[in-house]
Amino acid sequence: MCGWIIRSICQMNNNNLTNHNFFVKKLSDPLQFLSKTIQMTHARSSAKSPPDRHASILGTRVRQRRREIGLGQAELAKRVGISPSYLNLIEWNKRRIAGRLLGKIAEALDLSVDELQGVGERRLLEALDEIAGLGAYAHLGIEGERSAELIGRFPGWARAIATVARAEREATARASALSDRLSNDPFLGEAIHRMLTRISAVRSASEIVSDYHDIEPERRDRFLEIVRDESRALSGAGEALAAYLDKAEDADRILTPTDEVETFFETNDNNFSAIEVAAEALARELTDPRPISRRKKAQGLVETRLGSVIDQIVQSSVDLATEPARLRASRALMDYAVGAVLMPLSQFSRGAAELGYDIEALAEMFSVEIEVVCHRLTALPGETGSPTFAYFRSNAAGTIIEMLGLPGLALPRYASACPLWALFRAQQSPEAVIRQRALFPSGKRFVFVVRARHTGPTGFGKPRHYLTDMIAMTEEDAGLTVYAPDSAVAVEEVGPSCRLCPRHACIHRVEDPLAG
Amino acid sequence: MAKRVLVAEDEPNIVESISFLLERAGFEVLVEMDGRSALEVAKRNDLDVLILDVMLPELDGYEVLRQLRADDRLKDLPILMLTAKGQREDRETALESGANLFMTKPFANAEIVAAVQQLAESRAG
Repeated sequence: MCGWIIRSICQMNNNNLTNHNFFVKKLSDPLQFLSKTIQMTHARSSAKSPPDRHASILGTRVRQRRREIGLGQAELAKRVGISPSYLNLIEWNKRRIAGRLLGKIAEALDLSVDELQGVGERRLLEALDEIAGLGAYAHLGIEGERSAELIGRFPGWARAIATVARAEREATARASALSDRLSNDPFLGEAIHRMLTRISAVRSASEIVSDYHDIEPERRDRFLEIVRDESRALSGAGEALAAYLDKAEDADRILTPTDEVETFFETNDNNFSAIEVAAEALARELTDPRPISRRKKAQGLVETRLGSVIDQIVQSSVDLATEPARLRASRALMDYAVGAVLMPLSQFSRGAAELGYDIEALAEMFSVEIEVVCHRLTALPGETGSPTFAYFRSNAAGTIIEMLGLPGLALPRYASACPLWALFRAQQSPEAVIRQRALFPSGKRFVFVVRARHTGPTGFGKPRHYLTDMIAMTEEDAGLTVYAPDSAVAVEEVGPSCRLCPRHACIHRVEDPLAG
Repeated sequence: MAKRVLVAEDEPNIVESISFLLERAGFEVLVEMDGRSALEVAKRNDLDVLILDVMLPELDGYEVLRQLRADDRLKDLPILMLTAKGQREDRETALESGANLFMTKPFANAEIVAAVQQLAESRAG
C-alpha cells in the first residue's frame, strides 16, 4: 500500500494540473487506514503508559532485541549482573537505565549504545509527535502518548507514517505553489477565455444550422462558415495551450520572473535586431559630444521612439509568461536600446574589432561609461567572427545582480558565485581593469575582465558603494582581444559555486548548510 | 411594436448568431462592438434589453454597467451580462453591479433567447 501512496505522490509531482484537494483526499484515506492499524495495535498491547517516553523506547527495545537473539530474561540478567526481576522492570519501562549498566546491556545484546538508545527512533518519535499534533488529523483520534510504543513494536509502520506525512506536506506545498501559479498565469487565463469564446461561437452557429430548417441557403452557408473558421481557430488555440502545458511540465522548477527574463535574453542571443535597426537611425540625432548629454538624449529617444518596438518584442515572446517578467524585460530592453543608440551596432562592431575589444578604449571612443561598453559587447553577433561575451554585475555583498550568460560557463543561479572569481577581487583595487585566467573543474578555460566602480552619491567622509562589472569569454575567443593571456599569465583554478564544485580540498570552500 | 435589444459584444461571429436568434424571436436588434459606443447607443435609444459582454474594448462591461446604473433614465434597463470566464467572482461582481441576469459562454441558443424574453417581459410589466 505504501507503494501505492508513494506512486500517487510521484504522479502528483509530475502532474501540474491536478487539483490540490484531490491529493489531500487521496492521501487522507491511506492515513486513516494506517491510523486504524495503529489503534488495533494498541488494543492488543498490554503495556502501561510509561513515565518517560524516551525511556520507554529503550525498555521495549531491550526486550525485543533479547527475544530476537533468543536470550532468556534470566540469562541476560545474569550476564549483566542484575536480578531477573530488575531486568523485568527495565524491560517494561518501569526503571530507567543509563551509564555502565546501559553499556553492559548493549554489549550483551551485541548492539552499540546508540543503536540500543535508538537515536534514529528518537527522531522518528519527534516526527510522530508532530503528526499527532497536527490539526488536520485531530479527528482521527491519534494516540499521541503511545507513539513510542508504536516505534518499538512496529518500527516499519512508524517510519511509513512519518514518510507519508512528510511527503504529503511537501506535495501539498508544491501543489499550492503550482495552483497559485496556474490561477495567476495570465497566459492560461487568456487562452482559456479565447477557447470558451470560440466554443461559444461554434455552439451557437451549429445549433442554428440544425434547429432552423427554414433558414435561407446563403445564411445557412454563412453559419457553416462560422463553424468551420471558429473550429479551426479553436484547434489552434487548443494546440497552443497543450504546447504551453507541455513546456510547463518539462520545467521541473517554478520559474521566477528573473529566470524568465534570462531565458528570454538567452533565446535571443542577447541581440534584438529590430532595436538595432531602429537605433542606427536614432544614433544620427546624437549631435552633442558631451557624455552626460549624449546619454540623456539617448534615453529620451528610446523612451519616445522605441517604446512600441520594445513592447512588440516583449508581447510576442513565449519566454515571458508573467506580467512581472514582461515588465523586467521591458526595462532591460530599454537599457539595451540606450546602449544601441549610443553605440550603433555597425560602428560598434567595427570599432571593437579595431581596438581589440578594449573596454576602456571603446568607452573613450563612444564617450560612454565602461559598464555600458561591457553590456554592449554581449550583443555582438557571434557569426560575424567577433568573440562571444558574457556579462556579470555584482554588488559589494557578492550577489550577482545581472547576468547575460555564455554557453558552457557554469553559473550559480541560487547561490553565490565562487569566491575565487576576480569579480569579487576587483573591489580591492577600484577603477582598475583586472584580468583573470580561470580554469573550471570541467577543464574549460575562460578569461574574465573585471572592473569595480563606485556608484551613487558620495563625498569626503561619506561611504562609497561599489558595483563590479565583468565580461567573460572563452580563452580561445580572448585570443582575438587585447586581453589574450600569454603563457606567463598564471591559470587560476576556480569553480561555479561551492555547492556545485567538486574541488573538495579548496580552502575557500563554504560548507553546505544542508549536506554539512 | 418589436422590442429592441442592444447586443454589446466584440466577437463578430457570436454577434451574428445572437442577432439571428433574436430577430427570429421577433426582436429588433442593434449591435455595438465596444463599451463606449454601447453606452452612447443605450443613452440615445429606448431599449428593452441590453446584452452586455464583460470583456469589451474601450470600456469593459462592468464600467458600462456602472455608468448605466448611475443614469436615472437607464437605472432600470434589464441587462443580461455575458462572460467567458464563468468564475464565481464574475457572477457576483456582475450581479452586485446591477446586472439582472448573468450567463456564461458557451451558452445554449434556447437559453439566451429565453433569458432575453424574460427580461423584456419584466420591462413590460
